[in-house]
Amino acid sequence: MSGESKRAAARQRIAEKRAAEAAARAAAERRRRTILGAAAAAAVLLVVLVVVIVVQTNRTSTAVDAAAPTGTAGDGYTFAVGSADAPVTLDVYEDFQCPVCAAFEASTGDTIDQLVDAGTVQVDYHGMAFLDTSANDRYSTRALNAAAVVADAAGPDAYAQFHDLLFANQPEEGASGLPDDQLVAYAEQAGATGEAVESGIADLVYGDWVEQSTDRASKDGVTATPTVLVDGEQLDNSTQLTPEGLTAAVQAAAGT
Amino acid sequence: MGTVGPWLATAARLLLGVVLVVAGALKLPDPAAAERAVRAYRLLPEGLVGPMAFGLPVLEIAVGLALLTGVVVRTAAIAAAVLLTGFIAAIVSAWSRGLQIDCGCFGGGGEVAAGQTGYPGEVARDVGLLLVALALARWPASRLALGSPERTEHADVR
Repeated sequence: MSGESKRAAARQRIAEKRAAEAAARAAAERRRRTILGAAAAAAVLLVVLVVVIVVQTNRTSTAVDAAAPTGTAGDGYTFAVGSADAPVTLDVYEDFQCPVCAAFEASTGDTIDQLVDAGTVQVDYHGMAFLDTSANDRYSTRALNAAAVVADAAGPDAYAQFHDLLFANQPEEGASGLPDDQLVAYAEQAGATGEAVESGIADLVYGDWVEQSTDRASKDGVTATPTVLVDGEQLDNSTQLTPEGLTAAVQAAAGT
Repeated sequence: MGTVGPWLATAARLLLGVVLVVAGALKLPDPAAAERAVRAYRLLPEGLVGPMAFGLPVLEIAVGLALLTGVVVRTAAIAAAVLLTGFIAAIVSAWSRGLQIDCGCFGGGGEVAAGQTGYPGEVARDVGLLLVALALARWPASRLALGSPERTEHADVR
């Protein structure tokens, strides 16, 4: 091997080594950029996450001083009908647009009224409003607001009467919902009249309270309507929401 | 993988991306309902209900946007699979405990009129999406993507 070719081979080795080093540097640079990019993306996501959580938390806690109707019982979201001395308490969670609730009221509403009249049960009505649609013009909210207006003007018994009227005349799901003037007419029938009733219904004066009432039910663990509890024990929707089923449960709770 | 594969991957990206962005966006306008929907599962203590209700849509939208634009597709597909696995587990858990809830997947407060739960459909939909996400994580190379993480993994696809 000549000195010339040895030098050429050495040069080639050096060139290869340099190329390998350059490739390694480029690979390291790519890794560095990938890690930097991932870190930057994670940081941005984290900031957005925190900002959104803070903003949304503030949005849910704005209506603390919302207007509330008078005549409520308990935590301010229930209307109690019947004697406070009644041995059994019935908790009823309903949405005025809920068809199963209307069916329950049609089949068992009279039984409840009789149990109330007999002084056996006190009913706590809890309103929920989650079946609002654009088609029914937020009927769930408007109906519960109207019921609160009625209770505010004429008391819990008027609420119960208005409640019965709305379920007996429930608009079909997917239909347009009862218009406000129809709600005013039923309110009058239930004994709540006057300028304040009309404007309260038209202006959705307890709109925030309705939202909070729905939140209250959620915190009570109620997600489906109707939910009926006899002295705190939830009735089985498929077997006990009948005149016989309810009566039996009430009698068992009363110990008679 | 031929020429059809990358287009299938693009379709998978668009499907998952649109579903995630829509699902996330629908949960933002009514934060109180989002909280109720999370609370309805009865899985989290009250203190974590808010952060989950408000944070989850952000993650959904972030993953969805990554898939729609085609950056970090494999990472986003894996993230989507993780989200969907969580959703499926939560729904199955609610179902097996006999809870009467709506999954709240696309907004709403988780409430249902009694007897109107839709668990089988909800689970089937999420399992289908999960399979799409897993396939996309396995074959992330796609057309019409901004990023090109597949350059090193699939040199044959250009």
